[in-house]
Amino acid sequence: MAEIKSHIGTQNKKGQTYTDPWKMMHEAPRNPSFYTGSEVIKEALRRASCDVMIAYPITPQSEAAALIGELFAEGYIGDYFRGESEFAVMSQCAGAAFGGARVFTTTAGPGTMRAMENFPMWAGARLPIQMIVTCRGINSPLSIQPDTIEISYLLNTGMLVWHAETAQDFFDWILKGFMVSEEPEVHLPLALCCDGFFVTHTKDVVNLTPTDMCLPPYDPYRSPVPCMDMECPPVRMMRDPFIMKSNYISYATHASWQQEIWAAVERSRKHTIKWINGLIDTENTDAEVVIVASGTAVSQGREAIRLLEDEGVRCGLIKVKSLRPWPGEEIREATKNAKHIFVPEFNVTGWLAKEIKATIPNSERVHAGPHVCGGMTMPPEIIVSEIKTALGLRSESLAGRGS
Amino acid sequence: MTQYRVLPGPEHFLPPAAASMGIYLPNPGEAHINGVIVPEEKAYEEAARQFLMAQVPTIFPGPLVLWAWNEKAAKKAAAVRSLYETLKECVQPGQKPMLIPMPDYRPKYPKINPEVEINPNHPNLTIWHNKIDCCMFIGVHCHQANLSLKIIRGGTSCYTVAMCAQAGHEDAMLSFRDASVEKILKLGEWIRKLKGTVKPRLTSAKTSASN
Amino acid sequence: MSKERIKISPDLYDIMPSDYQDLVQSATYGKEDRGWKDIGTSKELIEQHSLCAGCPESMAFRYILASLPNPEDTVMVGSTGCTSLVFPMVAVHNIHSLFGNQNAIASGLKRALSVRFPDRVKDVVVLAGDGATVDIGLDMTLQAWFRQEKFTTICFDNELYANTGGQESGLMQKGFVAKMAPVGKLFDKVRLPEIARESGCHYVVNCTVSKPSLVEKVIRNSVLIAREIGPTYIQLYTPCILEIGKNSMEGLQEMRDSEKPTERFAYKEYVSEPAKQFLAELAAKDKERKAAAKQLAGKA
Repeated sequence: MAEIKSHIGTQNKKGQTYTDPWKMMHEAPRNPSFYTGSEVIKEALRRASCDVMIAYPITPQSEAAALIGELFAEGYIGDYFRGESEFAVMSQCAGAAFGGARVFTTTAGPGTMRAMENFPMWAGARLPIQMIVTCRGINSPLSIQPDTIEISYLLNTGMLVWHAETAQDFFDWILKGFMVSEEPEVHLPLALCCDGFFVTHTKDVVNLTPTDMCLPPYDPYRSPVPCMDMECPPVRMMRDPFIMKSNYISYATHASWQQEIWAAVERSRKHTIKWINGLIDTENTDAEVVIVASGTAVSQGREAIRLLEDEGVRCGLIKVKSLRPWPGEEIREATKNAKHIFVPEFNVTGWLAKEIKATIPNSERVHAGPHVCGGMTMPPEIIVSEIKTALGLRSESLAGRGS
Repeated sequence: MTQYRVLPGPEHFLPPAAASMGIYLPNPGEAHINGVIVPEEKAYEEAARQFLMAQVPTIFPGPLVLWAWNEKAAKKAAAVRSLYETLKECVQPGQKPMLIPMPDYRPKYPKINPEVEINPNHPNLTIWHNKIDCCMFIGVHCHQANLSLKIIRGGTSCYTVAMCAQAGHEDAMLSFRDASVEKILKLGEWIRKLKGTVKPRLTSAKTSASN
Repeated sequence: MSKERIKISPDLYDIMPSDYQDLVQSATYGKEDRGWKDIGTSKELIEQHSLCAGCPESMAFRYILASLPNPEDTVMVGSTGCTSLVFPMVAVHNIHSLFGNQNAIASGLKRALSVRFPDRVKDVVVLAGDGATVDIGLDMTLQAWFRQEKFTTICFDNELYANTGGQESGLMQKGFVAKMAPVGKLFDKVRLPEIARESGCHYVVNCTVSKPSLVEKVIRNSVLIAREIGPTYIQLYTPCILEIGKNSMEGLQEMRDSEKPTERFAYKEYVSEPAKQFLAELAAKDKERKAAAKQLAGKA
C-alpha cells in the first residue's frame, strides 16, 4: 500500500548494488571460499542489507556475533550493540523490528531458553526477525557442546524454524530466510538453527555470492501490522492491544489472533518451497529402509548409507530442512515405501522422531534413534549398527570409547 | 487438494483459519473465490454480482486509505468513494449500500457505535446491527483484516470480499491481491456493467447470528 | 509543519468518527508551545479510558500527552499494568510487548528509528509502572541508562502492583501491609532516582502530578534532554486510590500530602552539567524568540 520504492539496481553507501534476490541467489556467479561457519554468517550478513544487529556472548555463537560487529565497524550494518542478556537482546530486537528495521541476532542453548518469553511475542507481533540458533546443551550440569534439544522448545512458538546441515545451507538460507519471513502474508520471525561447533567452528568450502551484490532493503510498509514510526498512518495505533474483557468475543479475538499466526506459518510453505527448493531433500526413497534426519545428523546418515551399501543394504535418505512449516505431506509421501524409518538425533528426547510418528501412517515403522547428546559425536557406525540390529542382521557391538 | 471451501457462515464456534485448511493465496494476476484460485477477471464479475445481489452491500475502508499518509493512499480513498457512489447508482430500490470505516484496531471502551464504525475485535456487531450481507475490506492491515474476516465467517452469514494491496486473504470468500486505484475502479465498472442483470435478495437476507 | 502529515483522506473525511475529525482539526500536533493549558480548549491525545474513577494515573496521562514536545514524531513504549489499559486510547504510536522489557524495546526502537530517519527527530518515551520499571525490568532500565540510550523513562509510581490487585513492589514504603507483604514490607522503598543519577541519567525528577504546570516543564525538559544529550528519568507519584483505601475525590490530596518537604515525593531534581548547559541555551533561545514575537506584535 505504501510507496514502494524500487531499490534494485541502485547502490548502497558501501557501493554494493541492491540486486533482485532471486537473481542474486540463483544466477549470480559464486566464489568458492574456505571459511568457518561463523565466518559464513558474517559473509551472509555483509550481503543482507541488515539495519540492526544485537549481540550477546554465549558459546558457540560468540564469534559470529563479534564478526558481525566488524561488519558494523566497516559500515555494512545500520546499528549494532551488545545487549545485557538474551532476554533483553530479544526484546531489543523486537523494538527495532517494531520500528521498521530488518533485524538479525544470534543465540545458543541457555541463551535461547532465557529469551524464550520473547519468541511467541515476536510471532504474535508479526516481527520478521531472523535469529541464528547455534544449538548446544541446556541442562545442568552446564555443557557448551552440540545438542539440538533447544529446537524442540522453538517448535510451538509460532516462529519459522529451519535446520541447516552445512555452512553452505547457512549462507544461502540466511539470505533466503529474509525473503520468506518478510513476505507480507508471512511476516514471521525465523529461527535458523544449526548444530553448534559442528557447523560454526569447522571450515568448509562455501560458494559465496559476489560481495558487491546485496538484498534490497526491507520495506516496513508492506507489513501486515502497522510499523511504529508515526508514519503509517501516524494516528492512534497500539502494538498490540489486548482485550481485557471476559466475554466470548474477547476470547474469540485472541483465539483468532493465534490462528492467524499459524495461518501465516502455513502461508510461508509456498515461499519456503520456492526459496530453499522444497521443505525436504530426498535420496533413494524407494528403498525399504530410510533415514530421516535434520542438521548434521543428515551428514552422518549419508555416511552410514555409504557404509551400508558396502554391506549390500540399500537405504534412502530424507533431509528435513524446514521444521516450521512442517513438511508433513512430503514426509508421508517420501516414506510410503519404507518398512523401517530411522531417525538419528543429537538430543536425548528424540523430538524429530516424535514429530514424524505423529505425521505418518503405521508409525511403528519409526525407530527413534540412534540418539547421542551432551556433546557426543554420532559415528556413522552407530547408525549402521542400529539399522542392522533392527533388520536382524549381525552387528558388531560399538562400545563407548575413551582415552 | 483440500475439500475445504471458504463460504458464508455462521461456520463454527471457532472457525479455522482457511490457510490451515489448505487454502492457498492467489499468485499475481489471480484471485480466489471460496478458496478456489480463479483468473482475476472472474473475481470482478463475482464481486460485482455479490454486491448487486446484497440487501446492504457495504465497503469497509481501513486506516491505510482513510488517512492521506501518502499520495497513493489519498488516491485510493477517492477510488473507494467513487466505487461507493457507483454502487449507490446501480442498486435497486430497497437495497442500501453503506460505507463504514474501520478507523483503528483498538479495543474500544465501553463499546463501539456500530452505526459509524467497525472494529476488528468484534466486527460482527457492525454486521448484525446494519444487517450487512455483503462487505468489502480495503486498506485494512492484513493481520487485522484476517482477524475480522474469520470472526465474521464464524458468527454471521455475510459474504466477505477483500481488496488487498498485498497477497490477498484466504479468510475472505473472495479476494483480490495487489489492489490499486485501477482495480478499485475496475470493480466499479463491473458493477455498472451488471447493473439490472442481478436480482437482489431483498427478502431473504440472513444476517442474524445463530449463536 | 509536521501536522500536515496527520490528515484524513478528503474523500473519506465525512465518514470518519467525530473523535478523529476532532483530532485532525483541533489537536495540538505540531504546535510549538503545546502544554497543559491546551486541555479544555483543544482535542486531547487520549480518548476515553477504563481506569478507575479519580485515578491520578489518568491525570498524569493527560498532562504528559499535552506536554510532549513533538507528539507527531513520538513513539511511546509501555508495559503490562494499568497503563496498558490506557495505551490503546493514546493518539501516538505505542508498543506493548512483555512485562518489564520496556527499556529494551525502547533501545531497539530508538536505534531503528535513527537508522531509518537519520535526518529527522523521532522521540521515544517509555511510560511504565513501578513493578515494570524497578522490579521485573530493573536490569533493562539500568542497562539502557548505562548505554546512554537517548530516550526518556517515565515511571508511574503507585508503590504497588495495582493491576494484579495490590501486591508489594520494590517502590512500596517500608512497613506497608499488602498482599505478598503480610507482615508489612520489610525493606526500604528502592531509591531509583539516586540510582538513575549514578547510572548516567542526565535529568532526574521525583515528584507528584498535583501541579500540571510542573509536570509540563519536567516532561518537556526530559524529552528534549533525552533527544540531545542522553537518558532521563522521571518518577511520578500516581497513587492507587483503590489499594490505599481512598475515595475517587481524594487522589489530589494524597499527592499534595506526599509532596511536602519532608515527605517521600518532595520535589527532587538532578540535572547533569551538559543538560544544565543545554537547558540554559534553550531558555536563551526561548527568550530571544519571545522578544522577537513581542517586537513583531508591537510593529503590527
